[in-house]
Amino acid sequence: MFSLLARSSSRHLPFQTSALRSFSSSLVTRQAVPTGNNPLNKEFKIYRWNPDEPQKKPELQSYTINLNECGPMILDALIKIKNELDPTLTFRRSCREGICGSCAMNINGQNTLACLCRIDRNENKDTKIYPLPHMYVVKDLVPDLTLFYKQYKSIEPYLQNDNPPAHGEFLQSPEDRKKLDGLYECILCACCSTSCPSYWWNQDEYLGPATLMQAYRWIADSRDGYKAHRKEKLQNEMSLYRCHTIFNCSRTCPKGLNPAAAIAQIKLQLAVD
Amino acid sequence: MPLRHSGLQKEVLALYRRALRMVRTKPPSTRDKFHLFVRYSFKTQATAVSPRSVSTVEHLIRRGQKQLETYENPAVKDCWVSQEMRGWEAQERGDIRH
Repeated sequence: MFSLLARSSSRHLPFQTSALRSFSSSLVTRQAVPTGNNPLNKEFKIYRWNPDEPQKKPELQSYTINLNECGPMILDALIKIKNELDPTLTFRRSCREGICGSCAMNINGQNTLACLCRIDRNENKDTKIYPLPHMYVVKDLVPDLTLFYKQYKSIEPYLQNDNPPAHGEFLQSPEDRKKLDGLYECILCACCSTSCPSYWWNQDEYLGPATLMQAYRWIADSRDGYKAHRKEKLQNEMSLYRCHTIFNCSRTCPKGLNPAAAIAQIKLQLAVD
Repeated sequence: MPLRHSGLQKEVLALYRRALRMVRTKPPSTRDKFHLFVRYSFKTQATAVSPRSVSTVEHLIRRGQKQLETYENPAVKDCWVSQEMRGWEAQERGDIRH
């Protein structure tokens, strides 16, 4: 009760004694307050293209916002621009904590999630934001991911086993479970696939790093019974072997995963077969 | 000498052909509506953009293909025709008569 009172009355006090502060470590008044007094104006150049006016060429539009009145991430800046400067700016976002993969875009030349990318606080340099490269654009920063999802569907990303256990669930040893670490965390943001030159030139046939890593996730799963079938489907010139170990995928992955290693594992297993 | 079409023109014509074939799969009672819808969408959009703005035409083709994919679904049995389309049709008929 005392701490509640202290918290509610703290709004009106110019300062607090240390004895009171111990009850509430973060003051209400000290949260979400502009950190500096003089504005820190930063320029953002954002790719704009409107499908309602298809004759107009895409262009970079410039927005300047005060970073002292904005959250630390690029997504905060985008939301601020949409709220306060230009409500027509279009982008995908959902979780704002790097688990949904919606806000994947190309920021300063690097594919990453806007919600995990900090704003460079150097006000002399502008920040350029483009949609994911080499994808058809639906509007502004929204790419068309239909093909990407179709490719993911084509690898049958679900457990297939004709001999389910007599009762209960499939059991897995801790060692077998460990093989899936670094694979199952993928959120399918398409950052890696769209950074891969092989994928740029052969999107229609090459599956791309994100999809191949998920293909390996099911090949590596001890509970899956269709490993031979899965490998058979990759055994051709295009689906897998268009990967020329460029490693852009591992370098760009915002979740810190390593699709190139997974592809190398598939190649190894296919070579041994 | 036969008319030579560019690759882009061929793509547009192929899309138009596919759309007209889609109309034939629909029930006879609503076929007229589908037919008008296809013709209207093609004619109005074709006159709205310059044939030289290639990227625009490509975008419209992609959009048309997506739209057509949904219309090709056999569950789609009817489509809505606006007053504007009816007016356009009447005008076309009139133009032909004169």
